[in-house]
Amino acid sequence: MTAATSNAPSREEQVKALQKREARRRRLPLLPALIFTILITQIPFVMSLYYSFTDWTVTPPSPRTWTGISNYTDAFTNSFFREAAVTSIVMTVSSVLLSVILGTGVALLLDRKFFGQGFVRTLIITPFLVMPVVAGLVWKNQMFSAAFGVINWLLEAVGLEAVEFASKYPRWSIVAVLVWQWTPFMMLIILAGLQGQPASVLEAAKVDGATPRATFFQITLPHLRPYLELGVLLGSIYLIQVFDHIVVMTGGGPGSTNVPYFVNQRSIGGGWRFGSASAFSILVVIATIFIATFGLRVLSGLLEGEEP
Amino acid sequence: MSGSNTGPVVGERKLGGYLLSALAWFVGFLFFFPVFWMVLSGFKTEADANGPPKLFFEPTTEQFAEVTNDTTGLLSAGEAFSNSFWAVAISTVLVMLLAIPAAYALSIKPVDKWRDVLFFFISTKFLPIVAAILPLWIIARELNLLNTRLILIILYTAMNLPLAVWMLRSFFSEVPRELIEAAQIDGTNLRGQITSVILPIVAPGLAATALLCVIFAWNEFFLAVQLNPIEGSTVPIWVTGNVSTRGNFLAKLSAASTLATLPVIIAGWLAQKRMIRGLAMGAIK
Amino acid sequence: MAEVKFDAASRIYPGTEEPAVNKLNLDIGDGELLVLVGPSGSGKSTALRMLAGLEFVNDGSIFINDKDVTLAPPQDRDIAMVFQNYALYPQMTVASNMAFALKQQGVSKEDRMARVKEAAKILDLEPFLDRKPKNLSGGQRQRVAMGRAIVREPQVFLMDEPLSNLDAKLRVQTRTELADLQARLGVTTVYVTHDQVEAMTMGHRVAVLNFGVLQQVDAPRTLYSAPANKFVAGFIGSPAMNLLAASDVGGRAGIGGVQVPLSDAVAAAAGAHPARELTVGVRPEHLQLGSEGIPGEAIVVEELGSESFVHVRIDHLGESTTIVVRDEGETDVRRGDNVSVGFNGPVHLFGPDDQRISG
Repeated sequence: MTAATSNAPSREEQVKALQKREARRRRLPLLPALIFTILITQIPFVMSLYYSFTDWTVTPPSPRTWTGISNYTDAFTNSFFREAAVTSIVMTVSSVLLSVILGTGVALLLDRKFFGQGFVRTLIITPFLVMPVVAGLVWKNQMFSAAFGVINWLLEAVGLEAVEFASKYPRWSIVAVLVWQWTPFMMLIILAGLQGQPASVLEAAKVDGATPRATFFQITLPHLRPYLELGVLLGSIYLIQVFDHIVVMTGGGPGSTNVPYFVNQRSIGGGWRFGSASAFSILVVIATIFIATFGLRVLSGLLEGEEP
Repeated sequence: MSGSNTGPVVGERKLGGYLLSALAWFVGFLFFFPVFWMVLSGFKTEADANGPPKLFFEPTTEQFAEVTNDTTGLLSAGEAFSNSFWAVAISTVLVMLLAIPAAYALSIKPVDKWRDVLFFFISTKFLPIVAAILPLWIIARELNLLNTRLILIILYTAMNLPLAVWMLRSFFSEVPRELIEAAQIDGTNLRGQITSVILPIVAPGLAATALLCVIFAWNEFFLAVQLNPIEGSTVPIWVTGNVSTRGNFLAKLSAASTLATLPVIIAGWLAQKRMIRGLAMGAIK
Repeated sequence: MAEVKFDAASRIYPGTEEPAVNKLNLDIGDGELLVLVGPSGSGKSTALRMLAGLEFVNDGSIFINDKDVTLAPPQDRDIAMVFQNYALYPQMTVASNMAFALKQQGVSKEDRMARVKEAAKILDLEPFLDRKPKNLSGGQRQRVAMGRAIVREPQVFLMDEPLSNLDAKLRVQTRTELADLQARLGVTTVYVTHDQVEAMTMGHRVAVLNFGVLQQVDAPRTLYSAPANKFVAGFIGSPAMNLLAASDVGGRAGIGGVQVPLSDAVAAAAGAHPARELTVGVRPEHLQLGSEGIPGEAIVVEELGSESFVHVRIDHLGESTTIVVRDEGETDVRRGDNVSVGFNGPVHLFGPDDQRISG
């Protein structure tokens, strides 16, 4: 391994060379994934950024002209966009919060030994696995429908009037389906948190005479915090991008067009105005960056002190 | 690590326990009900499905036969399933081929700035896909990739890669370092360490990760409908195609939905425990 | 069979200033069992891992049989290692675990099985060869880890706290077996432990490390009777040596107003320093309770059956201090008794540089 010739490099140089080679060897397996990800995710983003400063209609083809920030100023005065932005915020926040709260409740229910525990958990995670378009269609046509929907059948059974939910309350119908699909996800994360809680701590609380309520608020909830944060973070990232449910449930009906759907309408979905649509999408990115900065902070808190 | 904190219970607390268990079962059925109803409706006739909700009826498989039957001019089930199958299968294989070495380089023999690199991968998930779709459409059109399986394969790979790196890293970090060192001292090279020590330990985690990629890719609708609305359409698009404006369609739609979702639901059931551990526990240990 | 040599070997972890192992010089003879002992953070494990090739050596060299292995990867060093948590391959049977290294070397299947069987016989593992590690007890796993090292017939055995995961009783038993096995096989062994009793009972020689610096390397008896410095004196022996800043009693070192007995040579050598700058060290068994000596009060009496240890509070340098005195098994001393502590054996003196003053 080492040649003991007189003009051999010094030990220090040898060690340095070895460490360098080691560092290169460690980087190598990372590169394909890293390069691929940079190519596919960063280039389109930069192109979007560029388009957003231009006026450009793809069909019928029009020349691309530089317009500076006018797309952005237009966006803020465009009442349709403002409405879409509000819808995005309301839908994301309400569906994330509701599914976290419900998910916590369900997780607490499942964090007990009872007959059929695993089976019940399996039933509850099912909605998360359902294809979003299918979830939207099933709820719209078979749960919410005034004519054949199960919910309306129940309402009528107790003497209330049937409601065509998806067209009367488009935004909240979508939120309901999102909550149905995401509560299981939140439940799983929180359940993992509950089960990671050392039993000895709970026993100590019991010995100290804490009531179940005090134990929950003063011990369990603080312990769950990172799990709740992770749930909120992952949920927000996905739910701000909701598209499928809107297409199949309301087609963007009143109060249910969020920004992604709006961008689609203005571009590939028929408007073909790629310039202004890009500006709208960049605004979503900026909004997401707010969530992401918060999110990265959470994640770095999680990774802190962890050795690879 | 025991989650249940039920101590010895007596008297009325026992009753409370039964009530909570009953509530858990009830909630379970509530969440499952729409899926149950969908499957049930798939076995109804259109007449049975398009009427007041019916629990008891004469089951028929006629809707399943009908939706899988080719109709000229429309997207056939066979085509959609084969498009989905290839896009999902190839992209998942590619994801794993790229993610396994990357996860290795972020956990077992970590690069210097492994935290930063991991952050980069995750942060790409923060980028809304809507911000990239227009350039992607332009690029795909320029390269004649619109309405091909290839564009979906590439994009599904990119879509699932960060998630797979994230999950695999957490599974890889669970491999005890001493085990790899023992293998090193026992004279294995890198390949030997991976094949004989690491992979056998992380195999269940690999399977769960691959499965999650399959689920996300199989259920994906946005990219498919933007880039492949005509030929190369996938199963989610085929499902929406069963919504008809001329006449009753609920039973057929239910049958199609059942075919489209059931494989993924069953796969998810089988892998539920590991999936969530890789997703969440990788971050929180 | 091999000799091992650390030649001014250092390890500095990236991002730290202080070396984890600082210019370690150590010669380990053929067939010797050398124990590296020290508190946590002393660098003992790092030194072992440097020898294994699992840590970079930033400076200096390491030789196995006069061959410089400083930069060689672990697989080129012909060593076997037993890890603290055994590091058994979970998916392999006991037999495959033991045969794994041989398989890497390309040893034929018959030879592998023969050697595994032989090692299994030595370690009483024959009934378990087809089991997976998770179906074994802690003691059995430990033996498999040993077996995995033995079958390789390596130049050097490296053992990193191999007994620390066993319960106390099994640890004592395994300790003896391991020492016996090493003596029979005659393979050079470097053994790391934080447990000084383990070090003293097993090591042919013991190297004491602290903060990455080698303090002393000697036979256990020498370490005990002639510790090189205050650290070694305090670390080796249980209960620990009483170490007290000396008081000045008539120009010579004392404890609580009583001069400590010293040989003329030591007294002469100590004369170079004022008594107040010296440290007195005396082992509990070299003190006795009697009618004269340092006056004090018994505050704790630990009866261990064959002997007992009495903690005596004395007045020393104007403060109350506790010293430990060994007494007979069935002692009559009770908590609260007034006692006098006399000297009954050698007393060590340590100079201002913490080194032991020898005559």
